[in-house]
Amino acid sequence: MDRNLFAVLILVYLELSMRAGTSPVCPSGQAGCHVPSLADLFNRVIQQSSRVHAISSDLHSEFEQYFFPSKNFLGKGKCHTYGIMTPADKENAQRLGRDQLTEVILRLLGAWEDPLSQLYHSMSQDQNQDFNHYSSNKALEISDMVHELRDGVTKVAEKMKLLGVLGNYVGYTIPETLPPSSAFYFNKKGEVTSMDHLVLLYCFRRDSNKVKNYLRILKCTTLPVLDC
Amino acid sequence: MITYYLAVQMCFIRMGRPQMYRKSRLQHANIYWLFMLFSPHMSYVFGKNKVHSQVTGFCHLINHMLVMSLPFQDTQLSGMRRDLRLALLLLLSAALESNSMSPPGKPVLLGCRSPEKETFTCWWEPGPDGGLPTTHRLYYERERLEGIHECPDYQSAGKNSCFFDKNHTSIWVDYFLTVVAFNDLGNATSDPLKMDVMEIVKPDPPENVTLLVKDIEDSPHLHVGWQRPQNTDTESGWVTIKYKLRVKQENNKKWKEYMSGTQTHFSLYSVSPGVEYSVQVRCRLDHGFWSEWSNTSHVKIPDYLQDKRPFGILVSTLCVITFIATMCILVMKRKYLKKCFLPPVPGPKITGVDFTLLKSGPTEDAINSLNQNFPLMVAWKDQMEDYLIVTENDIGLEPHPFISQKRKNRSMFSSSGFCFHSEIQSQDSRLSLNEQEKAGKRNHEIQQFVKSNKSLSGTSLSNIEQTQQCSHKQQGTIINFGITEATQQSRSHHDNTVKPLTDSGYVDIRRHEENTEEVDVKTLQYSRVKEMNSDNTLILEKENVSRPGYMDVQRQENTEGYSRVKEVEGDSMIIVQKQILSSDTYYKETGNNSIDCDLQMPRGLTGFSKVGVCAELDSGYVDTIPVTHLM
Repeated sequence: MDRNLFAVLILVYLELSMRAGTSPVCPSGQAGCHVPSLADLFNRVIQQSSRVHAISSDLHSEFEQYFFPSKNFLGKGKCHTYGIMTPADKENAQRLGRDQLTEVILRLLGAWEDPLSQLYHSMSQDQNQDFNHYSSNKALEISDMVHELRDGVTKVAEKMKLLGVLGNYVGYTIPETLPPSSAFYFNKKGEVTSMDHLVLLYCFRRDSNKVKNYLRILKCTTLPVLDC
Repeated sequence: MITYYLAVQMCFIRMGRPQMYRKSRLQHANIYWLFMLFSPHMSYVFGKNKVHSQVTGFCHLINHMLVMSLPFQDTQLSGMRRDLRLALLLLLSAALESNSMSPPGKPVLLGCRSPEKETFTCWWEPGPDGGLPTTHRLYYERERLEGIHECPDYQSAGKNSCFFDKNHTSIWVDYFLTVVAFNDLGNATSDPLKMDVMEIVKPDPPENVTLLVKDIEDSPHLHVGWQRPQNTDTESGWVTIKYKLRVKQENNKKWKEYMSGTQTHFSLYSVSPGVEYSVQVRCRLDHGFWSEWSNTSHVKIPDYLQDKRPFGILVSTLCVITFIATMCILVMKRKYLKKCFLPPVPGPKITGVDFTLLKSGPTEDAINSLNQNFPLMVAWKDQMEDYLIVTENDIGLEPHPFISQKRKNRSMFSSSGFCFHSEIQSQDSRLSLNEQEKAGKRNHEIQQFVKSNKSLSGTSLSNIEQTQQCSHKQQGTIINFGITEATQQSRSHHDNTVKPLTDSGYVDIRRHEENTEEVDVKTLQYSRVKEMNSDNTLILEKENVSRPGYMDVQRQENTEGYSRVKEVEGDSMIIVQKQILSSDTYYKETGNNSIDCDLQMPRGLTGFSKVGVCAELDSGYVDTIPVTHLM
């Protein structure tokens, strides 16, 4: 009797465990599980990049107005992403192809994660508390958003690889030519000036615009969508 | 400028004639000298070329000194000297003229603009050219590009501009621009301008703005359509264009703006008919600058309300007509409505008695029918209650003030009786007798009273007589009363009398049907008025008095009835009057009323046995405690 009961219990348990087999992740488009399409993913990613660029522009202009109101910043400072070869106009971007374009985007985003978090730390440590407190929050926000954006673009790349429109080795190259970002902007030990911050913000603003544009080109070359 | 000075100088020289007075000459000279001294400074202030002005001023000063040193005494000598001075003057002026050329002034870079993020144009403002033909050149340096380069195209964008085509345009790189002005005497370099194409994007305004009024019948709206500027490339996703439009009514000065996003059309729903609208559209790329507003397009909304107006009139007319008709119907049927919504409270009704018959008067038929019907009623009903208003008679009792004045026929009983009043007019619904009352026939009432007076005691018959007497006195008619067995019954009941109340006037006579079996249904009793008493009493003939069937049932049991409140004593005591006997009647009331409650016996009144009733005086009704009052 006990054995029978035990057997029944086991069977019931197995049955239930079989039933509860629906996992939260949609493996491949099950019914009722909403898998975002590539177009959706692209739209989200492009929106995110647009927001990133907007915030970085605001931050840069605020910084410039606050610290350098005379607007005589004619310095030819270089950005640490100088080493990444980015297409500088439409034709070059189109000529680059999807693979390389995706690669460039990912590299750019990867290169900025670290400096942005350092920017946040450095801004919150700065003596000029009034301005920096407000801006350091924005810097933190930007760094989080860039991190999310990078994840998003990675997902887009994965999806594209699934669909066969992207090469399988995209995103795996290691950028060796980049100088360590911490040394580039904040090389003066113990003394980080507002000028350094401004340069950083200027460079990031430019790069975020690049990312935004490249993503759009990527979308419109990959998907023949109406709003392209 | 120079010629002017020359002219003035010539005048001055002419003036330097010996004929003129020395003083005036000097004055003129002074004025002239001052003017000449300050004019270069004025030109310096207002003009742009300070060097030129300074030189001119200096030359003029020398000029004046030379002229001033002219002596004016000797005409002949001065004439010669005058010519000499004149020559010198001319020479000096020529020298002055030649010194106004200078190297060019510094040009100013105004700015640059890119309409589609693929090319861009820069403009500058040239400085003063220094009198010589000057050329301007634009040089630039670029990030990630070695060397200094010159502008590739000076022509395409017009004068004082430089156009950079696609090959020379790079985004996300810094350009450092300078403009240099050259002339034979020198050059001038403008301040450098640093720019990035990413920051200078300002598109052309949208093209082909079309206005259409759509859906005029149902929901008219204005459909605005336009096209993107030709040179922008949205297909590849290089740029994303966002649009904005603004609308203005013809007489209004204020524009109203609407965002359109990336759509190249917009529907405006809040349009008024017959009004002309002006629409303008502009756009921007990504987050760049807004373009200029496009050319204004105008459209006039047709007046579509014209078609709808007769329909509106028709509808409103129909509504008005319906409303008026409804009101008319309501007014005409108001009585019905009143009856329907405000029904009158029905009065008490005695079944079997048709008051309408009685209303017309005491006809034989009516009475007969009444009498005929009555025993049937007696057979049916267990109890019947009738309400009568009875007032006190004249013995020591004041007539109740509330006796209706309309009732002229007041019969006052003698001490032994009491008159039943037909004061009912003020209590319309309470008494079924009212209807008779209204007929103004008292005899009807009395009849009714008589009939209903089943519970009257034996002596009540005399009451009836008295009543009849009363009424008879008033009217002088012989009334035939139909006295049914009820009266026989009532004869046997002493205790059950009608008790008129002083206050409310209700008299509730309850009839008990226990006696029904004793009553011969068929027999109808009639009494004739025998004679009229002096004191308003009617003496009825009692025929059936000596009938063998006369019953002498002593009603021991309670026959509930109501007693008339004679007077109120104290807080909770009522003296109820019992009308029992009259000396003129055939019947004698012999009985004692025993009361169970502690009431004092009222003062003695002959012939009256008073029954004290313990009751509450809240209503006009007084329930008698059954008294063992027997006939």
